[in-house]
Amino acid sequence: MSGTTDADVLLRVRQVEQFYDRRIRILGPVDLDVRDGEFLSLVGPSGCGKSTLLRIVAGLLEPTAGRIDVGGVALAGVNRQAAMVFQSFALFPWMSVVENVALGLEARGMAPLERLKRAEKYIDLVGLSGYERAFPKELSRGMKQLVGLARALALEPELLCMDEPFSALDVLTARAMRDLVLDLWKSPEVKTKSILLVTHSIEEAVALSDRVVVLRANPGRIAEVVDLADLPRPRRPGAAAVSEVVDRMYGLLA
Amino acid sequence: MAALAGLTALAFFASASLRPHDAPALELRPALLPAYLALSLLRLAAAYALALLAALAIGHAAARSVAARRVILPVLDVLQSVPILGFFPVAVAFFIRVTAGSALGVEAAAVFLIFTCMFWNLAFGVYESLATLPEDIALAARQLGLRGASRWSRLVLPAVFPNLVYNSLLSWANGFYFLIASEIIAVGPARYTLPGLGSYLAQSVVAGRYEQTAAALLCLVAVTAAMHLLVWGPLETYAERFHFDESGDRPQVPRVARVLMRSRLVRALIGRVVVPGSEAAFRFAGRALDAVASRRALQAVLVLPLVALGVLAARHAWRTFAEAPLSPALAGLPVDLVLSLLRVGFGVGASALLAVPLAALVASRPAWRGPSLAVIQIAASVPAAAFFPLIVALVARGLGLEGAALLLSLTTMFWYVLFNVMGAAAAIPREMNEAARSLGLSRLGRLRHVFLPAVLPGLVTGCLTAWGAGWNAMILCEYLVVDGRTYAVRGIGAALDRATYETADPQVIAASLALMIAMIVGVNRAFWAPLYQRVTTRYKLDA
Repeated sequence: MSGTTDADVLLRVRQVEQFYDRRIRILGPVDLDVRDGEFLSLVGPSGCGKSTLLRIVAGLLEPTAGRIDVGGVALAGVNRQAAMVFQSFALFPWMSVVENVALGLEARGMAPLERLKRAEKYIDLVGLSGYERAFPKELSRGMKQLVGLARALALEPELLCMDEPFSALDVLTARAMRDLVLDLWKSPEVKTKSILLVTHSIEEAVALSDRVVVLRANPGRIAEVVDLADLPRPRRPGAAAVSEVVDRMYGLLA
Repeated sequence: MAALAGLTALAFFASASLRPHDAPALELRPALLPAYLALSLLRLAAAYALALLAALAIGHAAARSVAARRVILPVLDVLQSVPILGFFPVAVAFFIRVTAGSALGVEAAAVFLIFTCMFWNLAFGVYESLATLPEDIALAARQLGLRGASRWSRLVLPAVFPNLVYNSLLSWANGFYFLIASEIIAVGPARYTLPGLGSYLAQSVVAGRYEQTAAALLCLVAVTAAMHLLVWGPLETYAERFHFDESGDRPQVPRVARVLMRSRLVRALIGRVVVPGSEAAFRFAGRALDAVASRRALQAVLVLPLVALGVLAARHAWRTFAEAPLSPALAGLPVDLVLSLLRVGFGVGASALLAVPLAALVASRPAWRGPSLAVIQIAASVPAAAFFPLIVALVARGLGLEGAALLLSLTTMFWYVLFNVMGAAAAIPREMNEAARSLGLSRLGRLRHVFLPAVLPGLVTGCLTAWGAGWNAMILCEYLVVDGRTYAVRGIGAALDRATYETADPQVIAASLALMIAMIVGVNRAFWAPLYQRVTTRYKLDA
């Protein structure tokens, strides 16, 4: 990780380990920096601890050992600089779309009118305007995940954490959502500029990321960090340069 | 309505035509406890086997055909809301008369009574899991050509298995709870006592020999605890493989069971006995159910006897009311009903107010869930009569009869609410809690936005069940006999008890039962059903 200065680093993972039942090591030790403004992906087979690592970064899970530094301060409890998008959407079925999106803002004590405005802005940005009063069960899976995305972005976090956000969706919807996430990431309307994505799809990681962390299973460890900053965008699947990187990463995991 | 009328008429079987019969007193030597326990367990097991078979056949029939559903669901619904204890005299009279008072008849009556407190939740559980079976799975089974016995053993039994394990545990707890009522059978002048743990408990209480009550209670707690460790824990672990959804945490296996799972002996037991055993059992049960649960067999077993019974009961009802002068005690029943209604309402409210904070406390400490569930399940199966001495002591300290009746009814009703709320809390997906925390909700915010809405369906179900159980509790709690003294408050339960045990007045028995059923069914239809509908559509956890 040469060439990184402190100013560029949003969050540091240091010697993080996770054990199951105090005996079985499932992750680590892991060292990783998440840089300011980058799109970073964690890929690896199931059981490599990528979702565990993501939950540790989001402060939802306390590591057995090691620490997370956010802006030079050790993380304790939920990471307020981060917001999370879940694989299963985790929407609150008893709340409408706008209530779901505004919930985190309400929890942060934002005034009702202001949080309504903010929620509507992000609902609009993900393309769901008109559905504000709908309930999650009335939406398609893709639309549910758009709500999940809007809910996370509305908090305007430094870091957007996404746990397999597209894997419960069909291929076409997933592709549309990937494009949307990239558009939002580049859009001046969206404050969040760093994204940490967990996926089991190497193609997805290569299509989206600046850097890809490849993890190996049993216990989960970083096999390699692949820098894709020089790979030009947009990265069409099947393009020679893209295929080459994808093949190399499959090689790393074989 | 027809079912209601038929049931009311059935009550008239409790006529005074039984000859006086005195039960010989049970020997209360503690050394005999293991034998009594074994007899009680045999009765429970026989009743459970019958209840399981009937629940599978009937629940499956209801899920499979719309026509069957239209008949079965309303009948089950009314029958399960009938206070079981109120029908004990009826059922007993029926069995004893059919078998001319032989010992076998009394045993059959007891097994039937235990059956009635084990059956309903099992049947609804089977229906529920089959009705919510993912459509793709049912389609796949059909496409693969599963039919008859193999459909039972490969699709139906695995699909209902987790629900069945959970409900079996409740059924057994219920069976233990009503053990006393089913082993001491009294109708008017006729008294029968079956040797068993329940009759031992009851007799020792009546005789005021509390150290023997304590010994019997200890026995009961030990058996319940052993069943949790050796039966329900392993079965619940095993049941995990039959869940359909793959995401989210399921309710955790109780910790004791998890510790046991690590031991080599138990793992070997599961690997060598439970797994192959259950596969063989599924195959066997599949063949048996295919034979038993065919439409023709069901018609023969259910429809014909029910119709015959209805006709017989109606004739009997006519005779009781039309050919005898009306009993003066009938006039007081409406007031009795209102008094009991107030008590039940208080019990439901108090149970909810106690259960929700307790469940929230347990939910905030996941490590407590396993142990507390085990403790609650054991506590819930302690028969109410075992609390009698304690209550009497409290009455002597100035609690008042009314307070004693309320407290005692709480021991019946509270558990239902707590169970259901805790179950709902355990079903909250982990990601939902994580989402709330990651959104920065405070403890209070999580309670308000996640916990309370998520447990609301469970709370309503629990209150509904407690409401039904509360009427049973009234029959138990409004009229107590402890140490030779009778403690009674005014209410419909006490009126029923008095008519059963003192005056043998069939008109009051019938009228009080009919009033109770009308009240329960009416309030269920007008209040609980719409409430449940609203709560489950809005607060269901499957966005």
